[in-house]
Amino acid sequence: MPEFVALIWEPRSARDPQRPDFLEYMNGYNAFGEIAGPSIRGGAALLTDDTATTIHVEGGQHGEVVMHDGPYAETKESLGGFYVLEADDIDGAIALARHIPAAWRDGGRVEVRPTMSM
Amino acid sequence: MTPLYGTIDEIIRVEGGQVVATLYRMTGQLELAEDSFSEAALEAVRRWPKDGFPERPGAWLTTVARRKALDSLRRESTRPRREEMALALSAPPELDVHTVRDDQLRLMFTACHPSLSREAQVALTLRLVGGLNTVEIAAAFLVPEATMSKRITRAKEKIRSNRIGLRIPPDEELPQRMGAVLEVIELIFTTGHHAPVGAEATRVDLVDEGVRLARLLAALMPDEPECHGLVSLLLSTRARIPTRVGADGDLVLLADADRSLWDRDDVVEAIDLLERTLKAGRIGPFQLRAAISCLHSDARSIDETDWVQIVQLYDMLMVVAPSPVVAVNRAIAVAEVEGPAAGLAALDDVARQPPRWHLFHAARAELLRRSGDAAGSRAALLAALDCPHNDADDRLLRARLSQLG
Repeated sequence: MPEFVALIWEPRSARDPQRPDFLEYMNGYNAFGEIAGPSIRGGAALLTDDTATTIHVEGGQHGEVVMHDGPYAETKESLGGFYVLEADDIDGAIALARHIPAAWRDGGRVEVRPTMSM
Repeated sequence: MTPLYGTIDEIIRVEGGQVVATLYRMTGQLELAEDSFSEAALEAVRRWPKDGFPERPGAWLTTVARRKALDSLRRESTRPRREEMALALSAPPELDVHTVRDDQLRLMFTACHPSLSREAQVALTLRLVGGLNTVEIAAAFLVPEATMSKRITRAKEKIRSNRIGLRIPPDEELPQRMGAVLEVIELIFTTGHHAPVGAEATRVDLVDEGVRLARLLAALMPDEPECHGLVSLLLSTRARIPTRVGADGDLVLLADADRSLWDRDDVVEAIDLLERTLKAGRIGPFQLRAAISCLHSDARSIDETDWVQIVQLYDMLMVVAPSPVVAVNRAIAVAEVEGPAAGLAALDDVARQPPRWHLFHAARAELLRRSGDAAGSRAALLAALDCPHNDADDRLLRARLSQLG
Protein backbone atom coordinates (compact mmCIF):
# COMPACT_ATOMS: atom_id res chain seq x y z
CA MET A 1 0.00 0.00 0.00
CA PRO A 2 1.36 3.47 -0.89
CA GLU A 3 2.63 5.64 1.93
CA PHE A 4 2.40 9.37 2.47
CA VAL A 5 4.13 11.57 5.00
CA ALA A 6 2.17 14.28 6.75
CA LEU A 7 4.49 17.04 7.96
CA ILE A 8 3.10 19.06 10.84
CA TRP A 9 3.82 22.78 10.59
CA GLU A 10 2.60 24.90 13.47
CA PRO A 11 3.62 27.98 15.42
CA ARG A 12 6.19 27.24 18.12
CA SER A 13 3.69 28.42 20.73
CA ALA A 14 1.29 25.61 19.80
CA ARG A 15 3.41 23.03 21.60
CA ASP A 16 4.04 25.14 24.72
CA PRO A 17 3.03 23.00 27.73
CA GLN A 18 2.30 26.22 29.61
CA ARG A 19 -0.54 27.19 27.31
CA PRO A 20 -3.86 27.00 29.14
CA ASP A 21 -5.43 24.59 26.65
CA PHE A 22 -2.39 22.32 26.30
CA LEU A 23 -4.40 19.29 27.40
CA GLU A 24 -6.99 19.95 24.75
CA TYR A 25 -4.19 20.33 22.19
CA MET A 26 -2.72 16.97 23.18
CA ASN A 27 -6.15 15.34 23.15
CA GLY A 28 -6.46 16.42 19.53
CA TYR A 29 -3.42 14.33 18.65
CA ASN A 30 -4.66 11.39 20.69
CA ALA A 31 -7.96 11.64 18.86
CA PHE A 32 -6.14 11.62 15.54
CA GLY A 33 -4.38 8.43 16.63
CA GLU A 34 -7.78 6.83 17.10
CA ILE A 35 -9.20 8.16 13.83
CA ALA A 36 -6.27 7.09 11.67
CA GLY A 37 -5.60 3.94 13.71
CA PRO A 38 -3.71 1.28 11.77
CA SER A 39 -3.18 3.67 8.83
CA ILE A 40 -0.45 5.33 10.91
CA ARG A 41 2.70 3.49 9.91
CA GLY A 42 5.11 5.66 11.85
CA GLY A 43 5.99 9.15 12.85
CA ALA A 44 7.44 11.26 15.62
CA ALA A 45 6.81 14.42 17.56
CA LEU A 46 9.87 16.64 17.48
CA LEU A 47 11.28 18.77 20.25
CA THR A 48 11.18 22.48 19.44
CA ASP A 49 13.45 23.75 16.71
CA ASP A 50 15.68 25.67 19.12
CA THR A 51 17.01 22.20 20.01
CA ALA A 52 17.97 21.61 16.38
CA THR A 53 21.49 21.55 15.00
CA THR A 54 22.04 21.93 11.28
CA ILE A 55 25.27 20.51 9.95
CA HIS A 56 27.24 20.78 6.77
CA VAL A 57 30.46 18.91 5.97
CA GLU A 58 33.07 21.15 4.37
CA GLY A 59 35.36 19.60 1.77
CA GLY A 60 33.62 16.33 0.94
CA GLN A 61 32.34 13.43 3.01
CA HIS A 62 35.43 13.18 5.25
CA GLY A 63 35.91 16.89 5.68
CA GLU A 64 35.14 19.07 8.62
CA VAL A 65 31.68 19.14 10.17
CA VAL A 66 30.42 22.69 10.42
CA MET A 67 27.53 23.13 12.82
CA HIS A 68 24.85 25.75 12.94
CA ASP A 69 22.59 26.28 15.92
CA GLY A 70 18.96 26.06 14.89
CA PRO A 71 16.79 24.60 12.11
CA TYR A 72 17.85 24.64 8.45
CA ALA A 73 15.17 27.14 7.47
CA GLU A 74 13.98 29.91 9.75
CA THR A 75 10.23 30.01 9.24
CA LYS A 76 7.33 31.46 11.17
CA GLU A 77 5.87 28.00 11.66
CA SER A 78 8.16 25.17 12.61
CA LEU A 79 8.20 21.49 11.81
CA GLY A 80 6.61 19.93 14.88
CA GLY A 81 6.56 16.34 13.81
CA PHE A 82 5.33 13.97 11.18
CA TYR A 83 3.24 10.92 10.53
CA VAL A 84 3.76 8.20 7.97
CA LEU A 85 0.29 7.33 6.69
CA GLU A 86 -0.86 4.45 4.58
CA ALA A 87 -3.45 5.39 1.95
CA ASP A 88 -4.62 4.33 -1.51
CA ASP A 89 -3.97 7.75 -3.00
CA ILE A 90 -3.66 11.45 -2.21
CA ASP A 91 -7.39 11.72 -1.54
CA GLY A 92 -7.19 8.94 1.04
CA ALA A 93 -4.14 10.54 2.65
CA ILE A 94 -5.86 13.94 2.81
CA ALA A 95 -9.02 12.38 4.26
CA LEU A 96 -6.83 11.28 7.19
CA ALA A 97 -4.46 14.25 7.42
CA ARG A 98 -7.33 16.73 7.66
CA HIS A 99 -7.93 15.43 11.19
CA ILE A 100 -4.41 16.28 12.38
CA PRO A 101 -4.92 19.21 14.79
CA ALA A 102 -2.32 21.40 13.03
CA ALA A 103 -4.55 21.34 9.95
CA TRP A 104 -7.39 23.08 11.72
CA ARG A 105 -6.07 24.95 14.76
CA ASP A 106 -3.40 27.39 15.93
CA GLY A 107 -2.89 28.66 12.37
CA GLY A 108 -0.96 25.51 11.50
CA ARG A 109 -0.62 23.62 8.23
CA VAL A 110 -0.11 20.01 7.26
CA GLU A 111 2.03 19.19 4.24
CA VAL A 112 1.22 15.86 2.58
CA ARG A 113 3.78 14.13 0.39
CA PRO A 114 4.04 10.72 -1.19
CA THR A 115 7.06 8.63 -0.25
CA MET A 116 9.29 7.05 -2.83
CA SER A 117 8.49 3.38 -3.25
CA MET A 118 11.66 1.32 -2.86
CA MET B 1 -17.49 5.17 -44.72
CA THR B 2 -16.81 8.87 -44.92
CA PRO B 3 -16.93 10.59 -41.56
CA LEU B 4 -19.66 13.08 -40.94
CA TYR B 5 -17.33 15.36 -39.11
CA GLY B 6 -13.98 16.76 -40.00
CA THR B 7 -10.60 15.49 -41.03
CA ILE B 8 -8.69 12.56 -39.53
CA ASP B 9 -6.80 14.97 -37.27
CA GLU B 10 -10.02 16.45 -35.96
CA ILE B 11 -11.60 13.07 -35.32
CA ILE B 12 -8.52 11.89 -33.49
CA ARG B 13 -8.47 15.03 -31.37
CA VAL B 14 -12.15 14.87 -30.50
CA GLU B 15 -12.02 11.17 -29.63
CA GLY B 16 -8.65 11.48 -27.92
CA GLY B 17 -9.86 12.50 -24.47
CA GLN B 18 -12.12 9.51 -24.24
CA VAL B 19 -9.43 7.07 -25.38
CA VAL B 20 -6.82 8.44 -22.94
CA ALA B 21 -9.44 8.35 -20.17
CA THR B 22 -10.24 4.70 -20.75
CA LEU B 23 -6.59 3.71 -21.04
CA TYR B 24 -5.83 5.59 -17.82
CA ARG B 25 -8.45 3.54 -16.01
CA MET B 26 -7.07 0.32 -17.47
CA THR B 27 -3.39 0.99 -16.78
CA GLY B 28 -3.41 3.50 -13.93
CA GLN B 29 -0.57 5.27 -15.76
CA LEU B 30 -1.13 8.58 -17.45
CA GLU B 31 2.09 8.50 -19.45
CA LEU B 32 1.38 5.02 -20.79
CA ALA B 33 -2.20 5.99 -21.60
CA GLU B 34 -1.04 9.03 -23.59
CA ASP B 35 1.75 7.17 -25.37
CA SER B 36 -0.51 4.29 -26.37
CA PHE B 37 -3.08 6.72 -27.69
CA SER B 38 -0.41 8.55 -29.73
CA GLU B 39 0.66 5.26 -31.30
CA ALA B 40 -2.95 4.40 -32.07
CA ALA B 41 -3.42 7.84 -33.63
CA LEU B 42 -0.39 7.28 -35.86
CA GLU B 43 -1.81 3.97 -36.98
CA ALA B 44 -5.14 5.63 -37.74
CA VAL B 45 -3.44 8.24 -39.90
CA ARG B 46 -1.69 5.45 -41.77
CA ARG B 47 -4.61 3.09 -42.17
CA TRP B 48 -7.84 5.06 -42.38
CA PRO B 49 -7.15 6.69 -45.75
CA LYS B 50 -6.43 3.22 -47.24
CA ASP B 51 -8.90 1.02 -45.35
CA GLY B 52 -11.69 3.55 -44.97
CA PHE B 53 -12.96 5.18 -41.80
CA PRO B 54 -14.12 2.94 -38.99
CA GLU B 55 -17.76 3.25 -38.04
CA ARG B 56 -16.88 4.06 -34.44
CA PRO B 57 -13.51 5.81 -34.51
CA GLY B 58 -13.36 6.11 -30.70
CA ALA B 59 -13.79 2.37 -30.20
CA TRP B 60 -11.27 1.65 -32.97
CA LEU B 61 -8.69 3.93 -31.35
CA THR B 62 -9.34 2.47 -27.89
CA THR B 63 -8.88 -1.09 -29.14
CA VAL B 64 -5.63 -0.27 -30.92
CA ALA B 65 -4.34 1.83 -28.01
CA ARG B 66 -5.15 -0.99 -25.60
CA ARG B 67 -3.14 -3.41 -27.75
CA LYS B 68 -0.21 -0.96 -27.87
CA ALA B 69 -0.32 -0.58 -24.07
CA LEU B 70 -0.39 -4.34 -23.67
CA ASP B 71 2.62 -4.71 -26.01
CA SER B 72 4.64 -2.16 -24.14
CA LEU B 73 3.77 -3.66 -20.76
CA ARG B 74 4.78 -7.13 -21.92
CA ARG B 75 8.05 -5.75 -23.25
CA GLU B 76 8.93 -4.20 -19.92
CA SER B 77 7.20 -6.68 -17.70
CA THR B 78 9.74 -7.15 -14.94
CA ARG B 79 7.67 -6.34 -11.93
CA PRO B 80 4.57 -8.17 -10.69
CA ARG B 81 2.49 -4.98 -10.84
CA ARG B 82 3.09 -4.66 -14.55
CA GLU B 83 2.03 -8.24 -15.13
CA GLU B 84 -1.07 -7.59 -13.11
CA MET B 85 -1.90 -4.61 -15.34
CA ALA B 86 -1.14 -6.57 -18.46
CA LEU B 87 -3.62 -9.14 -17.27
CA ALA B 88 -6.26 -6.48 -16.71
CA LEU B 89 -5.60 -5.12 -20.19
CA SER B 90 -5.85 -8.47 -21.90
CA ALA B 91 -9.44 -8.87 -20.74
CA PRO B 92 -11.81 -7.52 -23.38
CA PRO B 93 -12.85 -3.98 -22.37
CA GLU B 94 -16.45 -3.49 -21.45
CA LEU B 95 -17.11 -0.16 -23.03
CA ASP B 96 -20.72 0.51 -22.21
CA VAL B 97 -21.92 4.09 -22.11
CA HIS B 98 -21.54 4.38 -18.33
CA THR B 99 -17.95 3.18 -18.32
CA VAL B 100 -16.93 5.64 -21.01
CA ARG B 101 -18.75 8.42 -19.15
CA ASP B 102 -17.07 7.58 -15.85
CA ASP B 103 -13.65 7.34 -17.53
CA GLN B 104 -13.93 10.80 -19.02
CA LEU B 105 -15.27 12.30 -15.83
CA ARG B 106 -12.45 10.73 -13.83
CA LEU B 107 -9.92 12.23 -16.23
CA MET B 108 -11.49 15.70 -15.89
CA PHE B 109 -11.37 15.42 -12.10
CA THR B 110 -7.79 14.23 -12.34
CA ALA B 111 -6.73 17.19 -14.47
CA CYS B 112 -8.52 19.59 -12.09
CA HIS B 113 -7.48 17.94 -8.82
CA PRO B 114 -7.29 20.66 -6.14
CA SER B 115 -3.75 19.64 -5.18
CA LEU B 116 -2.57 20.96 -8.58
CA SER B 117 -2.02 24.65 -9.25
CA ARG B 118 -4.67 26.42 -11.31
CA GLU B 119 -2.16 26.86 -14.16
CA ALA B 120 -1.43 23.15 -14.15
CA GLN B 121 -5.15 22.31 -14.05
CA VAL B 122 -5.81 24.45 -17.11
CA ALA B 123 -2.89 23.02 -19.08
CA LEU B 124 -3.75 19.42 -18.20
CA THR B 125 -7.44 19.85 -19.01
CA LEU B 126 -6.55 21.13 -22.48
CA ARG B 127 -3.96 18.42 -22.94
CA LEU B 128 -5.76 15.37 -21.54
CA VAL B 129 -9.42 16.19 -22.12
CA GLY B 130 -9.16 18.67 -24.98
CA GLY B 131 -6.51 16.71 -26.85
CA LEU B 132 -4.37 19.76 -27.62
CA ASN B 133 -0.62 19.35 -27.84
CA THR B 134 1.91 21.25 -25.77
CA VAL B 135 2.85 23.57 -28.63
CA GLU B 136 -0.78 24.62 -29.12
CA ILE B 137 -1.37 25.14 -25.38
CA ALA B 138 1.83 27.18 -25.02
CA ALA B 139 0.82 29.39 -27.96
CA ALA B 140 -2.69 29.89 -26.59
CA PHE B 141 -1.33 31.13 -23.26
CA LEU B 142 1.54 33.08 -24.79
CA VAL B 143 4.19 31.24 -22.79
CA PRO B 144 7.34 29.62 -24.20
CA GLU B 145 6.89 26.01 -25.21
CA ALA B 146 9.61 24.88 -22.79
CA THR B 147 7.74 26.51 -19.89
CA MET B 148 4.48 24.82 -20.80
CA SER B 149 6.19 21.50 -21.37
CA LYS B 150 7.80 21.70 -17.93
CA ARG B 151 4.48 22.65 -16.34
CA ILE B 152 2.70 19.67 -17.88
CA THR B 153 5.51 17.23 -17.09
CA ARG B 154 5.64 18.34 -13.47
CA ALA B 155 1.87 18.07 -13.10
CA LYS B 156 1.82 14.59 -14.61
CA GLU B 157 4.60 13.57 -12.24
CA LYS B 158 2.56 14.84 -9.31
CA ILE B 159 -0.44 12.87 -10.52
CA ARG B 160 1.69 9.75 -10.80
CA SER B 161 3.42 10.03 -7.43
CA ASN B 162 0.25 10.94 -5.56
CA ARG B 163 -1.87 8.42 -7.46
CA ILE B 164 -4.38 11.14 -8.28
CA GLY B 165 -7.59 10.28 -10.04
CA LEU B 166 -7.62 6.51 -9.95
CA ARG B 167 -11.17 6.73 -8.67
CA ILE B 168 -14.10 9.13 -8.96
CA PRO B 169 -14.30 11.48 -5.97
CA PRO B 170 -16.80 10.41 -3.31
CA ASP B 171 -20.17 12.19 -3.32
CA GLU B 172 -19.35 14.46 -0.38
CA GLU B 173 -16.35 15.90 -2.25
CA LEU B 174 -18.11 16.20 -5.58
CA PRO B 175 -19.41 19.79 -5.23
CA GLN B 176 -15.91 21.14 -4.48
CA ARG B 177 -14.34 19.05 -7.23
CA MET B 178 -16.98 20.02 -9.75
CA GLY B 179 -16.47 23.67 -8.81
CA ALA B 180 -12.81 23.41 -9.78
CA VAL B 181 -13.66 21.85 -13.15
CA LEU B 182 -16.25 24.57 -13.87
CA GLU B 183 -13.75 27.30 -12.99
CA VAL B 184 -11.01 25.79 -15.12
CA ILE B 185 -13.28 25.57 -18.16
CA GLU B 186 -14.44 29.13 -17.64
CA LEU B 187 -10.83 30.27 -17.36
CA ILE B 188 -10.00 28.57 -20.66
CA PHE B 189 -12.91 30.39 -22.28
CA THR B 190 -12.05 33.80 -20.78
CA THR B 191 -8.42 33.47 -21.80
CA GLY B 192 -9.61 33.08 -25.38
CA HIS B 193 -12.14 35.84 -24.92
CA HIS B 194 -9.50 38.31 -23.75
CA ALA B 195 -6.88 37.22 -26.27
CA PRO B 196 -5.25 40.08 -28.14
CA VAL B 197 -7.08 40.94 -31.32
CA GLY B 198 -5.62 39.78 -34.61
CA ALA B 199 -3.96 36.81 -32.98
CA GLU B 200 -2.44 34.42 -35.48
CA ALA B 201 -4.90 32.17 -37.24
CA THR B 202 -2.87 29.14 -36.21
CA ARG B 203 -3.71 29.71 -32.59
CA VAL B 204 -6.22 27.32 -31.11
CA ASP B 205 -9.49 29.06 -30.38
CA LEU B 206 -9.83 28.79 -26.63
CA VAL B 207 -13.33 30.28 -26.79
CA ASP B 208 -14.65 27.37 -28.84
CA GLU B 209 -12.55 24.91 -26.87
CA GLY B 210 -14.10 26.24 -23.64
CA VAL B 211 -17.60 25.80 -25.05
CA ARG B 212 -16.75 22.30 -26.22
CA LEU B 213 -15.40 21.30 -22.80
CA ALA B 214 -18.40 22.83 -21.03
CA ARG B 215 -20.78 20.89 -23.28
CA LEU B 216 -18.81 17.72 -22.59
CA LEU B 217 -18.97 18.26 -18.82
CA ALA B 218 -22.72 18.93 -18.99
CA ALA B 219 -23.21 15.75 -21.01
CA LEU B 220 -21.19 13.80 -18.44
CA MET B 221 -23.05 15.31 -15.46
CA PRO B 222 -26.54 15.93 -16.85
CA ASP B 223 -28.10 16.17 -13.39
CA GLU B 224 -25.88 19.06 -12.26
CA PRO B 225 -27.63 22.37 -13.06
CA GLU B 226 -24.43 24.39 -12.64
CA CYS B 227 -22.81 22.51 -15.54
CA HIS B 228 -25.65 23.58 -17.84
CA GLY B 229 -25.43 27.05 -16.30
CA LEU B 230 -21.81 27.22 -17.44
CA VAL B 231 -22.72 26.20 -21.01
CA SER B 232 -25.44 28.87 -21.09
CA LEU B 233 -23.08 31.51 -19.69
CA LEU B 234 -20.39 30.72 -22.26
CA LEU B 235 -22.80 30.56 -25.21
CA SER B 236 -24.50 33.85 -24.34
CA THR B 237 -21.09 35.49 -23.91
CA ARG B 238 -19.71 34.03 -27.14
CA ALA B 239 -22.75 35.46 -28.93
CA ARG B 240 -21.49 38.98 -28.23
CA ILE B 241 -17.89 38.40 -29.34
CA PRO B 242 -18.38 39.89 -32.85
CA THR B 243 -18.74 43.34 -31.26
CA ARG B 244 -16.27 42.94 -28.41
CA VAL B 245 -13.76 45.09 -30.25
CA GLY B 246 -14.20 47.54 -33.11
CA ALA B 247 -12.40 47.60 -36.48
CA ASP B 248 -9.61 49.60 -34.84
CA GLY B 249 -9.09 46.91 -32.23
CA ASP B 250 -10.47 49.06 -29.44
CA LEU B 251 -12.92 47.72 -26.89
CA VAL B 252 -16.55 48.46 -27.63
CA LEU B 253 -18.90 49.18 -24.75
CA LEU B 254 -22.13 47.22 -24.46
CA ALA B 255 -24.07 50.45 -25.00
CA ASP B 256 -22.33 51.15 -28.31
CA ALA B 257 -22.40 47.62 -29.74
CA ASP B 258 -24.14 46.87 -33.03
CA ARG B 259 -26.39 44.13 -31.67
CA SER B 260 -27.39 42.93 -35.13
CA LEU B 261 -23.94 41.32 -35.30
CA TRP B 262 -24.54 39.12 -32.27
CA ASP B 263 -24.87 35.40 -32.85
CA ARG B 264 -28.58 34.74 -32.51
CA ASP B 265 -28.19 30.92 -32.55
CA ASP B 266 -25.92 31.05 -29.50
CA VAL B 267 -28.35 33.36 -27.69
CA VAL B 268 -31.39 31.21 -28.42
CA GLU B 269 -29.60 28.04 -27.32
CA ALA B 270 -28.26 29.73 -24.17
CA ILE B 271 -31.72 30.95 -23.13
CA ASP B 272 -33.45 27.69 -23.94
CA LEU B 273 -30.88 25.71 -21.99
CA LEU B 274 -31.06 28.06 -19.01
CA GLU B 275 -34.85 27.99 -18.84
CA ARG B 276 -34.83 24.19 -18.74
CA THR B 277 -32.01 24.18 -16.16
CA LEU B 278 -33.65 26.68 -13.79
CA LYS B 279 -36.63 24.33 -13.49
CA ALA B 280 -34.46 22.01 -11.37
CA GLY B 281 -34.74 24.68 -8.66
CA ARG B 282 -31.10 24.35 -7.58
CA ILE B 283 -29.75 27.81 -8.33
CA GLY B 284 -26.03 28.46 -8.26
CA PRO B 285 -23.59 31.19 -9.31
CA PHE B 286 -23.15 29.96 -12.88
CA GLN B 287 -26.91 29.84 -13.51
CA LEU B 288 -27.30 33.36 -12.08
CA ARG B 289 -24.45 34.72 -14.18
CA ALA B 290 -25.88 32.93 -17.23
CA ALA B 291 -29.24 34.57 -16.57
CA ILE B 292 -27.66 38.04 -16.44
CA SER B 293 -25.62 37.34 -19.57
CA CYS B 294 -28.71 36.03 -21.40
CA LEU B 295 -30.69 39.16 -20.50
CA HIS B 296 -27.94 41.31 -22.01
CA SER B 297 -27.58 39.20 -25.13
CA ASP B 298 -31.33 39.03 -25.68
CA ALA B 299 -31.99 42.78 -25.31
CA ARG B 300 -32.44 44.83 -28.50
CA SER B 301 -30.69 47.84 -26.99
CA ILE B 302 -29.18 49.05 -23.77
CA ASP B 303 -32.45 50.84 -22.92
CA GLU B 304 -34.61 47.81 -23.63
CA THR B 305 -32.48 45.73 -21.25
CA ASP B 306 -34.36 44.33 -18.26
CA TRP B 307 -32.21 46.13 -15.68
CA VAL B 308 -34.68 45.54 -12.85
CA GLN B 309 -34.30 41.80 -13.21
CA ILE B 310 -30.55 42.14 -13.64
CA VAL B 311 -30.30 43.98 -10.31
CA GLN B 312 -32.35 41.22 -8.65
CA LEU B 313 -30.03 38.58 -10.10
CA TYR B 314 -26.96 40.49 -8.88
CA ASP B 315 -28.57 40.70 -5.43
CA MET B 316 -28.88 36.92 -5.40
CA LEU B 317 -25.34 36.56 -6.68
CA MET B 318 -24.08 38.77 -3.85
CA VAL B 319 -25.61 36.23 -1.45
CA VAL B 320 -24.31 33.02 -3.08
CA ALA B 321 -21.00 34.23 -4.48
CA PRO B 322 -20.12 37.76 -3.37
CA SER B 323 -17.07 39.37 -4.96
CA PRO B 324 -15.88 42.89 -5.81
CA VAL B 325 -16.54 42.19 -9.50
CA VAL B 326 -20.15 41.26 -8.78
CA ALA B 327 -20.57 44.29 -6.52
CA VAL B 328 -19.29 46.73 -9.16
CA ASN B 329 -21.46 45.22 -11.88
CA ARG B 330 -24.42 45.37 -9.54
CA ALA B 331 -23.76 49.07 -8.91
CA ILE B 332 -23.76 49.73 -12.67
CA ALA B 333 -27.11 47.93 -12.99
CA VAL B 334 -28.51 49.86 -10.01
CA ALA B 335 -27.57 53.10 -11.79
CA GLU B 336 -29.58 52.01 -14.83
CA VAL B 337 -32.67 51.46 -12.68
CA GLU B 338 -32.45 54.19 -10.04
CA GLY B 339 -30.08 56.71 -11.60
CA PRO B 340 -26.37 57.52 -11.24
CA ALA B 341 -26.58 58.75 -7.61
CA ALA B 342 -27.91 55.38 -6.44
CA GLY B 343 -25.24 53.64 -8.51
CA LEU B 344 -22.50 55.75 -6.93
CA ALA B 345 -23.85 54.98 -3.45
CA ALA B 346 -23.78 51.27 -4.30
CA LEU B 347 -20.19 51.64 -5.51
CA ASP B 348 -19.19 53.33 -2.26
CA ASP B 349 -20.52 50.27 -0.45
CA VAL B 350 -18.14 48.04 -2.42
CA ALA B 351 -15.03 49.16 -0.61
CA ARG B 352 -14.17 51.51 2.21
CA GLN B 353 -10.82 52.08 0.52
CA PRO B 354 -10.96 52.52 -3.27
CA PRO B 355 -9.46 49.27 -4.62
CA ARG B 356 -6.50 49.26 -7.01
CA TRP B 357 -8.73 47.92 -9.72
CA HIS B 358 -9.24 49.97 -12.89
CA LEU B 359 -12.81 48.81 -13.59
CA PHE B 360 -13.98 50.10 -10.21
CA HIS B 361 -12.71 53.58 -11.04
CA ALA B 362 -13.91 53.39 -14.65
CA ALA B 363 -17.42 52.57 -13.39
CA ARG B 364 -17.26 55.50 -10.93
CA ALA B 365 -16.05 57.80 -13.71
CA GLU B 366 -19.00 56.85 -15.90
CA LEU B 367 -21.56 57.36 -13.12
CA LEU B 368 -20.00 60.70 -12.11
CA ARG B 369 -20.13 61.85 -15.76
CA ARG B 370 -23.81 60.95 -15.91
CA SER B 371 -24.50 62.95 -12.75
CA GLY B 372 -22.82 65.95 -14.40
CA ASP B 373 -19.65 65.91 -12.29
CA ALA B 374 -17.03 66.27 -15.06
CA ALA B 375 -14.18 67.07 -12.65
CA GLY B 376 -14.97 64.06 -10.47
CA SER B 377 -15.24 61.88 -13.56
CA ARG B 378 -11.84 63.06 -14.79
CA ALA B 379 -10.25 62.29 -11.40
CA ALA B 380 -11.78 58.80 -11.41
CA LEU B 381 -10.48 58.10 -14.93
CA LEU B 382 -7.00 59.19 -13.85
CA ALA B 383 -7.31 56.87 -10.84
CA ALA B 384 -8.30 54.05 -13.23
CA LEU B 385 -5.27 54.75 -15.43
CA ASP B 386 -3.15 54.58 -12.31
CA CYS B 387 -4.23 50.96 -11.69
CA PRO B 388 -2.81 47.98 -13.60
CA HIS B 389 -4.63 47.58 -16.96
CA ASN B 390 -3.99 46.33 -20.49
CA ASP B 391 -3.48 48.25 -23.74
CA ALA B 392 -7.07 47.96 -24.97
CA ASP B 393 -8.38 49.29 -21.64
CA ASP B 394 -5.79 52.06 -21.81
CA ARG B 395 -7.12 53.30 -25.18
CA LEU B 396 -10.70 53.12 -23.92
CA LEU B 397 -9.92 55.04 -20.72
CA ARG B 398 -7.96 57.72 -22.63
CA ALA B 399 -10.76 58.07 -25.17
CA ARG B 400 -13.20 58.67 -22.31
CA LEU B 401 -10.83 61.22 -20.83
CA SER B 402 -10.62 63.19 -24.06
CA GLN B 403 -14.41 63.04 -24.49
CA LEU B 404 -14.76 64.85 -21.18
CA GLY B 405 -13.01 67.77 -22.83
